[in-house]
Amino acid sequence: MLRYILKRFTIMLVTIWIIVTLTFVLMVTLPGSPLNEERTTNETVQANLEEHYNLDEPYYIQYLLYIKSIITFDFGPSIKQPTETVNDLLGRGFPISFELGIATIIVAVISGIVLGIFAALKHNGIIDYMAMTIAVLGISIPNFVLATLLIQTFAVYLGILPAATWSSPMHMIMPTIALATGPMAIIARLTRSTMLEVLTQDYIKMARAKGLKPWKIIIKHALKNALMPVVTIMGTLLAGILTGTFVIEQIFGIPGMGKYFVESINQRDYPVIMGTTVFYSAFLIIMLFLVDIAYGLLDPRIKLHKKGGE
Amino acid sequence: MKKKGFLLLMFAGFILLLAACTTSTGNEGDEGDDSDSEATEENDGSEEKVLYMNNGEEPRSLNPPVGFDSVSWNVLNNLMEGLTRLGQDDQPQPAIAEDWDISDDGKTYTFYLREDANWSNGDPVTAEDFAYAWRQLLDPETGSSAAFLGYFIEGGEAYNSGEGSPEDVAVEVVDDKTFEVTLTAPTGFFLHVLTNPAFFPVNKEVAEENPEWYAEADSFVANGPFKLESWTHDQEMIMAKNEEYWDRDTVNLDKVNWAMVNDVNTEYQMFESNELDVTEIPSDMADQLINGDNVVIEDQAGLYFYRFNVEEEPFQNEKIRKAFALAINQEDIVDYVTKNKEEAAKAFVSPGFTTPSGEDFRDVNGDLVNFDPEQAKQLLEEGMEAEGYDELPPVTLTYNTDEQHKAIAETMQNMFSENLGIDVELANTEWNVFLEDQKALNLQFSRSSFIFDYGDPVNFLESFTTDSSMNRTGWSHDEYDELIAQAKQETNEEERWQHMYEAEKLVAEEMPIFPIHYYNQVYIYKDNVKDIVRHPVGYLELKWADKE
Repeated sequence: MLRYILKRFTIMLVTIWIIVTLTFVLMVTLPGSPLNEERTTNETVQANLEEHYNLDEPYYIQYLLYIKSIITFDFGPSIKQPTETVNDLLGRGFPISFELGIATIIVAVISGIVLGIFAALKHNGIIDYMAMTIAVLGISIPNFVLATLLIQTFAVYLGILPAATWSSPMHMIMPTIALATGPMAIIARLTRSTMLEVLTQDYIKMARAKGLKPWKIIIKHALKNALMPVVTIMGTLLAGILTGTFVIEQIFGIPGMGKYFVESINQRDYPVIMGTTVFYSAFLIIMLFLVDIAYGLLDPRIKLHKKGGE
Repeated sequence: MKKKGFLLLMFAGFILLLAACTTSTGNEGDEGDDSDSEATEENDGSEEKVLYMNNGEEPRSLNPPVGFDSVSWNVLNNLMEGLTRLGQDDQPQPAIAEDWDISDDGKTYTFYLREDANWSNGDPVTAEDFAYAWRQLLDPETGSSAAFLGYFIEGGEAYNSGEGSPEDVAVEVVDDKTFEVTLTAPTGFFLHVLTNPAFFPVNKEVAEENPEWYAEADSFVANGPFKLESWTHDQEMIMAKNEEYWDRDTVNLDKVNWAMVNDVNTEYQMFESNELDVTEIPSDMADQLINGDNVVIEDQAGLYFYRFNVEEEPFQNEKIRKAFALAINQEDIVDYVTKNKEEAAKAFVSPGFTTPSGEDFRDVNGDLVNFDPEQAKQLLEEGMEAEGYDELPPVTLTYNTDEQHKAIAETMQNMFSENLGIDVELANTEWNVFLEDQKALNLQFSRSSFIFDYGDPVNFLESFTTDSSMNRTGWSHDEYDELIAQAKQETNEEERWQHMYEAEKLVAEEMPIFPIHYYNQVYIYKDNVKDIVRHPVGYLELKWADKE
């Protein structure tokens, strides 16, 4: 196990290095510069600013400086918000995105699995159709449309929830629902189809033949195997949701880190681009790693440590 | 084995639950604070007046010499005050300076600061605070985009370009409450320039002790109608009435609460659910909302226009440029495309600039670019003949990616096709790329906009001199350069304005750019909100605002 972790860790470092290098190349080849403003400052000022942000150095020096900033995890000041460092921005935005993300995942996973199980058990029955209608709607309605509809209904017409901003648990309800609906639908559909497959397996028949109670069969025997595909998509889902989503955060005025992924690129704020990229890729890789470990726990047939050894 | 797996699954679930609990306890703490503050608001709600506004996003910097964006300056204009402030009549009024003398040659201004002008920490506002802030504005190390505003001051441009020293900047601290500044030329509108946040003072003592004094509410010192009570970055800002402000009796609001929601649709929905007192109109709802009762439409000095690149075919030809300009029906664009009640622009300088004799610049100089498809067609023919074109070289119109710009560009494409029989290609690029290409003269024909920084037409007109970095057309005209130089130096106001009239007419004759519409500001206010002032040139004023 330890060997496996070590190996994964090395691969992770190499992957991040590749990502950083690619990002750097793309970033500097992108036309435009962080100092490109509507009103051009004079040459001396321009030169001072370039020097201050090391933009006057040759690319390989800039590249090395970025690598250094990643190793020390100190990305320096943001160019567009000069009083803030990138670490400030991430440190402030991530906990908020994470909080919203956790709530979303809990809602999506629980409701998705429950919906999926019921649909599978009442296969082709009314519950199945209802559950799958919800799922299809959930997949096909974009979350920003849902978000606007939710605000219009619960804040404007009914006046029972605050429309936007982020200051109390009440403010979390609508963004959580808006974000969770899509993943919930995907999970429900996945759970349903694998559940249907698992329920026809011999060991389920065997369990039935043993006279086990139906709910015990489902929870203990069927569900665990039916969850494998769900676990597979959890890695990317977690990383995507926990690090914040641009559109939902913008609509609800949530001060998470989602906006930095988009705005830093629009503004060519190089340190913020690097900071968010490294942060996101490290986070994603760790999530995928956790998913692999979860496989091993759920399905004893998958032996992680043997992969590397033999 | 199975049991173990199940246990682990349970464990994972437990962790998730735990995480949820910790986050929600974190929230409960917040909630406690919130409900407390809400409770206090409700308790003395009868007396406390809180205005709820939205400012879109986190201000870039609240350091006066640095800001230079409307998000920062709308806040700063209410936290601070310069030597002069724009009154409700949009004219500069005595502010921190209660009085001033102007020398006979119009170049030296001596300001007498109010004895009772104090910072929110109780320190007096001194002449030294102004000198300190202005030198910081011009310091090439500060790298401020607003520095060009300080070029009116003698030695300002030299210092900012790294050729002078801070001592050479002609700002003199005569004594604590007397401040003298010498300008390069008599600048009739200097008192208006001074209302700009770039000229606000900085409490020198505080700034020297803590160079980042402006980054947090705790360390922020204000000298304006409000002070900064709290600032949760990226989230909200609360301003409270500044009891140290010299004119505190005029200020009606107790607090102003700024949200930072960067989505106009949400802003409008928050307004509808009574979470905000003011909102903009979402562009796709303009049709339904613009004629509503509480809609306030005010001028904003500025122009939406198009730049030709006169170094690229076919726009080296003046007649072809004019043909393109006259083929555009600006009225139709504001009536059917933007639908935001802007005024269609038939010239370049927006209305609202008062001449020395009390008239409007726009009325004096009249309409200079009138939609005329017949004349446009004829000019095109003449131009093509002069250049020996059988067929017009391909024309590409470029705008920066945005729905509104796209709608206008497509309408223009239609008008060119209908009125001139020309197929113009459309292209769009993302803002940063667009700006770089426009500056480098890589675009043949491109969208542009200008918002005034100070209250004189020369602010816009000087953009098109040969050396100006704002030119971006390749157009160069000696007579025009001369007119602008005179408009910046002339002591006789009547004559100075005369130069500006002529300069504008010259632009219309040569047409390196052509106008689409002037800007306006459209907001919906709640019934009980009164006296929020928005100037055509300048920033939001809450000094007189009230909530009944």
